[in-house]
Amino acid sequence: MLLSTPWRLWRSAISTLKSLSRPAPVRHLSIPTDAVCDADTIFALSSGHGRCGVAVVRVSGPASSMVLRNMTGLTQTLPPPRTALLRRITDPHTKELLDRGLVLWFPGPHSFTGEDSAEFHVHGGPAVITAVLQGLGSLKGVRPAEAGEFTRRAFHAGKLGLTEVEGLGDLIHAETEAQRRQALRQMDGELGHLYQDWSSRLKRCLAHVEAFIDFSEDELIEDGVLNQVDSSVHRLQTEIERHLGDERRGERLRNGVQVVIAGATNAGKSSLLNTLCQRPAAIVSPIPGTTRDVVEASLDIGGFPVLLSDTAGLRDGLDSVEREGVRRARQRVEQADLTLVVVDSTQLPTEPKQAPTFLQGYLSIVLPQPSGGNPEEGREATSDRVLLVLNKSDLVPEAQKERTERELRESLGLPPACFLSCHTTTGLGDFLAVLQSRVKTLCGNPLSGAPSLTQARHRAHLQQSVQALSQYHQYRNHDLALAAEGVRLALTHIGRITGRVGAEEILDIVFRDFCIGK
Amino acid sequence: MLARKLPLILHNLPWSVSSRAGSDLARRHYDVIVVGGGHAGTEAAAAAARVGAETLLITQKIATIGALSCNPSLGGVGKGHLVRELDALDGLCGRAGDWAGVHFSILNRSKGPAVWGPRAQLDRERYRQFIQSELLSTPRLTVLEGSVEELLVSQSNPNEPGHHRVTGICLVNGSQPILSSSVVLTTGTFLSGSLFMGQTTTPGGRIGDAPSCSGLSHTLRETLGLRVGRLKTGTPPRIVKESVELSLVQIQTPDKEPTPFSFLNTHTHCKPEEQLPCYLTHTTPGVERVVRESLHLNCHIQQDSKGPRYCPSIESRVLRFPGRQHQVWLEPEGLTSDLLYPQGLTMTMPPDLQLRLLREIPALHRAEIRTPGYGVHYDFVCPTQLNPSLQVKSTQGLFLAGQINGTTGYEEAAAQGLWAGVNAARAALSLPLLALCRTQSYIGVLIDDLVGRGVTEPYRMFTSRAEFRTSLRPDNADIRLTPRGFEEVGCVSLRRYKEAVRVRDSLQEGLAALKSVTLSSTRWREKLVERLQVINFCSFSISGLDLLQYKDVSFEMLAAIFPEHLSPYLEFSQRLNIEAVYRPHCEKQSREIERVQEEESLSLPPDMDYLSLPTSLSSEVRELLDRVRPNTLGAATRIPGMTPAAIVHLLHYVLRTAQRNQHTGQRVKAACKP
Repeated sequence: MLLSTPWRLWRSAISTLKSLSRPAPVRHLSIPTDAVCDADTIFALSSGHGRCGVAVVRVSGPASSMVLRNMTGLTQTLPPPRTALLRRITDPHTKELLDRGLVLWFPGPHSFTGEDSAEFHVHGGPAVITAVLQGLGSLKGVRPAEAGEFTRRAFHAGKLGLTEVEGLGDLIHAETEAQRRQALRQMDGELGHLYQDWSSRLKRCLAHVEAFIDFSEDELIEDGVLNQVDSSVHRLQTEIERHLGDERRGERLRNGVQVVIAGATNAGKSSLLNTLCQRPAAIVSPIPGTTRDVVEASLDIGGFPVLLSDTAGLRDGLDSVEREGVRRARQRVEQADLTLVVVDSTQLPTEPKQAPTFLQGYLSIVLPQPSGGNPEEGREATSDRVLLVLNKSDLVPEAQKERTERELRESLGLPPACFLSCHTTTGLGDFLAVLQSRVKTLCGNPLSGAPSLTQARHRAHLQQSVQALSQYHQYRNHDLALAAEGVRLALTHIGRITGRVGAEEILDIVFRDFCIGK
Repeated sequence: MLARKLPLILHNLPWSVSSRAGSDLARRHYDVIVVGGGHAGTEAAAAAARVGAETLLITQKIATIGALSCNPSLGGVGKGHLVRELDALDGLCGRAGDWAGVHFSILNRSKGPAVWGPRAQLDRERYRQFIQSELLSTPRLTVLEGSVEELLVSQSNPNEPGHHRVTGICLVNGSQPILSSSVVLTTGTFLSGSLFMGQTTTPGGRIGDAPSCSGLSHTLRETLGLRVGRLKTGTPPRIVKESVELSLVQIQTPDKEPTPFSFLNTHTHCKPEEQLPCYLTHTTPGVERVVRESLHLNCHIQQDSKGPRYCPSIESRVLRFPGRQHQVWLEPEGLTSDLLYPQGLTMTMPPDLQLRLLREIPALHRAEIRTPGYGVHYDFVCPTQLNPSLQVKSTQGLFLAGQINGTTGYEEAAAQGLWAGVNAARAALSLPLLALCRTQSYIGVLIDDLVGRGVTEPYRMFTSRAEFRTSLRPDNADIRLTPRGFEEVGCVSLRRYKEAVRVRDSLQEGLAALKSVTLSSTRWREKLVERLQVINFCSFSISGLDLLQYKDVSFEMLAAIFPEHLSPYLEFSQRLNIEAVYRPHCEKQSREIERVQEEESLSLPPDMDYLSLPTSLSSEVRELLDRVRPNTLGAATRIPGMTPAAIVHLLHYVLRTAQRNQHTGQRVKAACKP
């Protein structure tokens, strides 16, 4: 029946050999982060956000040349490798002009990641950056990078040595932390509830399809179950699509560096806010517990956007309103890029040598405790993200102030401290200088999580989710396994925003909603 | 070419087996001892012998080897996948099912080939006979009737991980111990098992059989320090067929063309027209009433140990979902049996109430019970204490499989049995132990879930547990497993291997041929007029492979158009149809599969001291790793609460250690080769 030519034998020998060959070790090992596919082309803002002259957007992956062509109108030839070229950068779909900027082309393997890569150097305004990121995200097979993904790919391609992997762990840690804080902020509001709602509805859809696949032959699972899933999937698709089309009305992004003022009641937190804003944004009164909710003000500090929040004094409040205020205050501190911990100087110990211990204790009450992590790491993180403001300095004798300052400078493990009087504005200039340099560092750090990038990531996942749902309809009537795969993919993508969903969770819904008795 | 050979059925079969065993007993030393003759034990013993180990199977009663203690059926959705994979690794149950089946059907026929569930109702006698004669004719395998009193352990081999080493077993009344390098325990529900019916409780694992010796349970807990938990299960009463009003039930007919489980069989033993039907009926409000009235007489239901959510007794179904009709399947027990098995009516109330309950169902209004239903409580060993080879981490040479690991179901037990048997033999023969990856098989998913996550209730296989479901289909189990089973594992016969390789090559060639036949959309439309109305093409040249992805197009149609190219592959038309539809989806998954396999290929040393590892891990993560002790980096990523950064730190540490060890001549052994 089959011809046994030498050619055929040769081919089967080759295929056997292929199936036997094992991948080489070490160099090919992946560093798992999430179920992300390396075939995708990724992009990220690799310079800081905020007001900066030039912003750099990096692209890496097989579709990089396509991206370059689509964004710059270079239809025929790509720019010469590793040479800057001034181009009009346009939206890939509307061809609307986004900016004029430099583009660079790095064909693999001579790039940071070893893959084909491209860079866009555009003007640093938030509007331009957001437009470019959204344009990139709208291209097929292109998505925002996950935490540490550029470095991970570089490692994959053997561009990083073993010693650099250690640094990679810390980098991924920093990025995930920054993204977590950023995501917490975004997920707090209406948008978060919307995503959660979609995720739980998708979970239910998947559970019901799975129940139908695994149990309908033996159990009473009515066909109506699938019809319900059909309409649920359809509704979800419409809702997500409408949300994606509705760019302008999206929730206001909490743009800028998040600076939170925290401390004990009546330490002068609201006075500090007012001093910084030079307007009474928060009511100031000598009664402890005046600020019960979070008061926000947008500021410009040294040219960088800052969102300053005043919080309720941290004490065990007497009434429920105040308790809620304290809860929100703690939540804010957890999400903050920078916390200004305000201390009433008159409460400092009169013996300056005891001041560091006192302040350590104070900080441990005000700041959220680092969960589990080793204390070294926690302290380091704290001093980076905290400034101590010793308010009401006008009420402390000058000599004590000077000796205390000296003690604090010499003590290790405390964040920088500034004496200040909101009342007389003495020390305000020094404090502003420290604050400004700190904000600048934060802004210049791409890790602090640009909101526009978070938004672009969300959009990309939502788009992929909608695409996956269309697979459900495509296969619904003749291959339920492939249809279910569509819902599963959609859920995976939403899960990247709201958190992963495991098989056990789906089975829990199955057993809750159906009487399975086989 | 049905079974490898027609089973030699002897009326005094048990006698002949034990007499054979008697002559071999003088050995007193075996490579592998398998304790238990259920689904796990029989597959384990046969697999160990196939790999090349001198194997001894010890069972309480030779007559009950291969007995179906519960439902007379094999396969189903998810479970059918396991049977196909077992067969691909040359296991027994697929061929036994083909020999003993009396009602074959593919469940989920309309839901896509990835979730088809091959299933059969079995003739209990035929199944038992097939398994027994198969074991009898397996070279290197000895069967012995006896009850194990004690597991013998000694100091461990210092070059390998583990605190103890198995050296053999001691029989009740046995004058001398029987020594072995490996022991596979497949004691089912017999580990501290107790039977429940109404308010009476008796020790035992199955009605009619003596309880296992408590010494074994004691050794596992006290000497080896293994954590055990308690689970429960149950079985329904058996009904006399003649007493059932068959005019009041729906008849479920089998498939007209029975599909065999085994890749080696082209047809089943039972002729299509000789198949028996199943019957379907429903519970009534009266059933619910009897359950409620008898609750105070029902010890089993009052116990708070975990029963399966998906195989609940009628009592728990009624209590959890009151006011509903529940399905009851009446399944034949065999060609000559006068009994019916009421699937869905597992119950543990006193026998007189069982009868009252049954008679509340119209078709059973004068039903007679042959044997009443009962419940079983039993110990299981928390399976997170095992390696993916199913060897107990702390004890060299000790392997566990089946219900003792917290699973439920024949197929789940058989799957573990086969893999434990393979590794027990390999350990005895000083070959490296092997793992099956969850990207390759449902057996891999099953074992990975067990050893990685543990169980809180009896574990049953569902297709939704397999994240790579579109790739792990019942149709391609041979391609996925048989070549590796022969080349690396050593549990597959040459004949089966050659057949699988032939099929694999033919499928590849068939797909290439499909790709090579291209026409323009207009030409295709001319040739397939009536079928292609709904399809809109925009491409000029469309291959047969592209076209086959549409549901109205079949390989046969294309073969009629290009007979010279495609007719050589007509034998595989169904498989080529499936391959064409699933190929794009599988390709999408293949990268993810590769990623998982790479992670699985990096094993973490079992004796790693996570608490003092000199790398920056948070104390939370350290404690997590210390508690779970994942076997591979891949398993570590699946621990809930692991952070990406921690994984990278772990990877870095392991790579550095591996590099250092390379200089000293050691190697980090791959646990799961792709």
